[in-house]
Amino acid sequence: MTVHYIEDVEFGSDLPAFIPDTSLAKGAQFAKLIGWDGPRFNDHEGARKEGLPGAMIPGVMSQGFLVAMIHHWAPSARIINIDTVFRAPVMADESHTISGVVTDIDPDAGTVEIDLTVANTKQETRVFGTATIGLKAGAD
Amino acid sequence: MDADIQAIRDQFLGQAFDEKQFEIDPIVTAEYARLCGETLPKFTDPADPDFQASPTFVASLSGGRSLPAGFPRFGLGMDAGKGIECLQPVRPGQPLIGKTHLHDIYTKTGRSGRMIFVVARLAFFDEAGTHLANSDSRIVMREKSA
Repeated sequence: MTVHYIEDVEFGSDLPAFIPDTSLAKGAQFAKLIGWDGPRFNDHEGARKEGLPGAMIPGVMSQGFLVAMIHHWAPSARIINIDTVFRAPVMADESHTISGVVTDIDPDAGTVEIDLTVANTKQETRVFGTATIGLKAGAD
Repeated sequence: MDADIQAIRDQFLGQAFDEKQFEIDPIVTAEYARLCGETLPKFTDPADPDFQASPTFVASLSGGRSLPAGFPRFGLGMDAGKGIECLQPVRPGQPLIGKTHLHDIYTKTGRSGRMIFVVARLAFFDEAGTHLANSDSRIVMREKSA
């Protein structure tokens, strides 16, 4: 379901699940784009030589996935803030799911708070955070 | 609040210690948005009349230094998270000025000892001085044992 106005939002509702592209190719492309090119983001074997379990997805890319999921759910949402904790690496070439749940609605302020999680297929949380978004009222 | 942390807060909080100008390429921000899975034209299409960088783009920008000169080295610093505050859209193609200061310093103590958390805030402004966004980097340092 796509949300347009704050009245459309239900407390405790789940945002539609979002499957991000966490392939090595896309992670490496992203890392190069922002000047973070290096084995830890573009080469599993090179990352292992650095002592990592494999190549990772950049943390800021995971943050970008979270915001993209919000925009898929509520295209008119204005991101006011987002705070994320990189609890464990998001490994490239492993499937991940992004989920979000509405934890607060303030109709007077026109804001909605969402808890966000990036988890792998073992349901291990890799990144978690909170976003506050702004949404207009339908009568506006 | 531990006395040594309060002293560091008094000395360092709120004082800008780095300034850097960024040139934001529309092609880069559009590709950034697409790779993150954004589909809204205002983030992915430089020809869109409301074209802007995706809200988290500023998190990928770094200042010249993350800690001020003279800041005590408690131990090895690790990335403990990122926070973004969006005040106004960041318009690619226009210069962006980033000013860094320490926004918060606090501790948590557990079985393994004291951890010092430092929040370095990179505040972004346009050429007119309008405050557009904040990017907070949380650094955690495990205190070296005496």
